[in-house]
Amino acid sequence: MESEDDMHDANDVESLDDDFYSGGTDDAPLDYYSDYDDDADDYFEDADRIESRRPEQNFTILKESDIQQRQEEDITRVATVLSISRVLASILLRHYNWSVSRVHDAWFADEDRVRNAVGLLEKPIVQHDNTGELTCGICFENYPRARIEMASCGHPYCITCWEGYISTSINDGPGCLMLRCPDPSCGAAVGQDMINLLTSDEDRQKYTRYLLRSYIEDNKKSKWCPAPGCEYAVTFDAGSGGNYDVSCLCSYSFCWNCTEEAHRPVDCGTVAKWIMKNSAESENMNWILANSKPCPKCKRPIEKNQGCMHMTCTPPCKYEFCWLCLGVWSDHGERTGGFYACNRYETAKQEGVYDDTERRREMAKNSLERYTHYYERWASNQSSRQKALADLQQMQNVHIEKLSDIQCQPESQLKFITEAWLQIVECRRVLKWTYAYGFYLQEHEHAKKQFFEYLQGEAESGLERLHQCAEKELQPFLCADDPSREFNDFRTKLAGLTSVTRNYFENLVRALENGLCDVDSNGASLSRATSSKSAAGSSKGRSGRVKGTFRTSMSSRMNDDSHWCCEHCTYANVKSATTCQMCYQRR
Amino acid sequence: MQASRARLFKEYKEVQREKAVDPDIQLVCDESNIFKWTALVKGPSETPYEGGVFQLAFSVPEQYPLQPPQVRFLTKIFHPNVHFKTGEICLDILKNAWSPAWTLQSVCRAIIALMAHPEPDSPLNCDSGNLLRSGDVRGYQSMARMYTRLAAMSKKG
Repeated sequence: MESEDDMHDANDVESLDDDFYSGGTDDAPLDYYSDYDDDADDYFEDADRIESRRPEQNFTILKESDIQQRQEEDITRVATVLSISRVLASILLRHYNWSVSRVHDAWFADEDRVRNAVGLLEKPIVQHDNTGELTCGICFENYPRARIEMASCGHPYCITCWEGYISTSINDGPGCLMLRCPDPSCGAAVGQDMINLLTSDEDRQKYTRYLLRSYIEDNKKSKWCPAPGCEYAVTFDAGSGGNYDVSCLCSYSFCWNCTEEAHRPVDCGTVAKWIMKNSAESENMNWILANSKPCPKCKRPIEKNQGCMHMTCTPPCKYEFCWLCLGVWSDHGERTGGFYACNRYETAKQEGVYDDTERRREMAKNSLERYTHYYERWASNQSSRQKALADLQQMQNVHIEKLSDIQCQPESQLKFITEAWLQIVECRRVLKWTYAYGFYLQEHEHAKKQFFEYLQGEAESGLERLHQCAEKELQPFLCADDPSREFNDFRTKLAGLTSVTRNYFENLVRALENGLCDVDSNGASLSRATSSKSAAGSSKGRSGRVKGTFRTSMSSRMNDDSHWCCEHCTYANVKSATTCQMCYQRR
Repeated sequence: MQASRARLFKEYKEVQREKAVDPDIQLVCDESNIFKWTALVKGPSETPYEGGVFQLAFSVPEQYPLQPPQVRFLTKIFHPNVHFKTGEICLDILKNAWSPAWTLQSVCRAIIALMAHPEPDSPLNCDSGNLLRSGDVRGYQSMARMYTRLAAMSKKG
C-alpha cells in the first residue's frame, strides 16, 4: 500500500493528479503525427484511420522547461496544502519520491513522524543568545554571529566550513539532495535556501541539475528517454491498457515498461529472453552472419545497402535475387503461392529451396539452425530499419526540397512521402519483432503457426511493395527535368500503399498481442473476420472496429461465399480451387 | 590546506588539554608532520580485546575535515571489520557517513565502539566474520583473545 498507492489505489487523490497533468498535456507540442493525418486525408477517405493512428495517448513528453514547471507546481501545491515553505515542501517531496499524494497521506497521518524522518525540526535543538561569538563545529574557531550559519537545528558552523561541506557533498553526487546538518547526531535537513546562499554558481547549477533529474528518476511515473543524447523525459499514465509504447520527440520509440526499444507486438518478457539469447549466441551469429553474402550467380561478395530485399547484382551479372533466401527474384511472385514466400521457414524447408544436401535439411531441425533463421530475419529487418531511417532523414533534408522544385509542388504537398517513410520505419520495427514472436511460438500450435506465417508473409509483401514504391518508383521524379504528369498517380499510389500497410500492420500487431486468439479452431476465425468485414463495410468502419480482425488485404480475399477456408492453414481459397493455394493440402 | 592545518592544530591543543579526560585514548601528533597522527587505544572491557593496547595510524588528507582521515591498526587484531594483514578498518564514518563535525578523538571513540560491537555482515576478516556469523562466539572470542595477548599486551604481562 505504501509504494503502490499513488499508482493505483488512491483514486481520489489521483484524480487531482489527473486534472493537474492534463493541463500540461494539452499544450505539449508532441503530436507530430497529427499534421500528416490532416494532409493525408485530402488524398484519402479513411475515417477509421485517424482513430487507429492515435489511440488515446497515455504518455507525455516533457522538455526541460516542462519538467521545471511541473516540479515547481508540485512544490507549490504541497506548500499550499501543508502551509509550509516551498523549501520544506521541496525536501518533503524529494523524500517521498515526488509523489504529492504520498506526501499528503504521510503528513496528515502523522506529522511528527514525517518531520522526524525527513529532518524538518519545528524548533532548534540548540538555542543561542544573539550576542557574542559562536564556535564553529567544524573548524572550532570563534566567529561573530554574522559569520555563522545554521540549519533549523541551530548547530553553528562558519560560512567557510558550510561552503566546504556543501560543495563536497554536491561534488559527491545526487546524495546532496538529502543533505543534513554536519552534526553526526542531528538529522536536520539542509534546504535549497541554504544551498543557494552558500555555494558557487557552478555547484548551484549542479544541485539544480540533480534536483531536476531526481524529479524524473525518483518518480515512478516518469523516465528519461533512453536514446543517447536525448534530454526529454516521458511521463506515463499506467492503467490504460497494455500498450507501453512511447515515442519521444527525438523520434526514438521505446517501451515504457522495460525501456528497450519499442517492441510491439512482442511482450517485454519475450524481448528480454530474445535479447539474452542474442547476446549468448552472438559469437555464433557473428560468423554465420558475415556482413556480406556472395551473389548466388557470380559469387562476388555483395553488401546490402538499399532497403528492400530485391537485389540486383552489378553488371555484367545483373542477377536478380532475394537477399534473404538468395533465390531468384522471379520466383518470388504470386505464382509460387504467396507474393513473398521467403519469410516462411517451414515452407522453405519443405520446398527445399536451398539446394544444399539432404543433410543440411536434416540439420534445419536443429535448434541453432532454427534460431539462425529467425535471428537473421530479425537482424536484417533491423538493419533495413536503420537504412530506412537514414533514407527518411535524407528525404527530409535533401530530396523533398529538390522534388518540390522539380515537380513544382509546395513541400507541404509532399508530406505523403515522409509519411510513407515513417510508415516503412515503423513496419520494419514491427516486422523485426514478429521474428522474435515467431521464434517463441509453440511448435505444436500448428494452425497458429501457419496463420502467423501467413500474416507475416502478407505483412512482408505489403511492406516490400511500399518500400519499393517509396524508394525506386520515386527515382524517376527526382531525376526528371520538368514536372511529370504521372506524379499525381504516384502520389495516389504511395499514399494508398501507406494507408493500407498501416492498417494491415496495426491489425497484425493487435492480433499478435491477442495471442492469435482468432485461431481457436480451424476456420472459425475466418467466418468472424468475414462478418466483421461486412459490418465494417456497411458503416464505413466508423463503428465497426473489431479487435484482432483483418479487414484490409486479407479480408479482401475472403468475400463471403466465393471462398473456402483451408482446414490446415486457414487460408481463404477461391471456390474453384480444390487444393489449398497456400499449403497444397486437399480440400 | 590552511584550513585543515588550522583545524588539526585546534585538535592538537584540545588533545593536550583533554588528555586526562579520556584515559582510553592517547592521541599523538607526529613531531614533524601535523597530518600524521598515531593513537593508542585500550581494548574495551568485557571484550576479548580487554587488557590490550592497540596502536592506530592516522593519515589526514589535505581536504580534512571535509574528507575523512585514513586510519588503520598498526597492532595486529583479530576482528571481523579489520583487515588481518593491513589493519585497514571498515567503518561507515570513515567512508560515506563521514561528517566534518567528527574529530580524530571521536574517530578513536568510534573505533573502540566497533571493537566492542563487531559487524560480521561486512567483514574484512572473513575468518573472524564467519565464526561470528555461524554463531561460534566462543571460537571468535578465543581467537581474538589469543591475538590480543600475542600482539597487544606487553611481554611481561
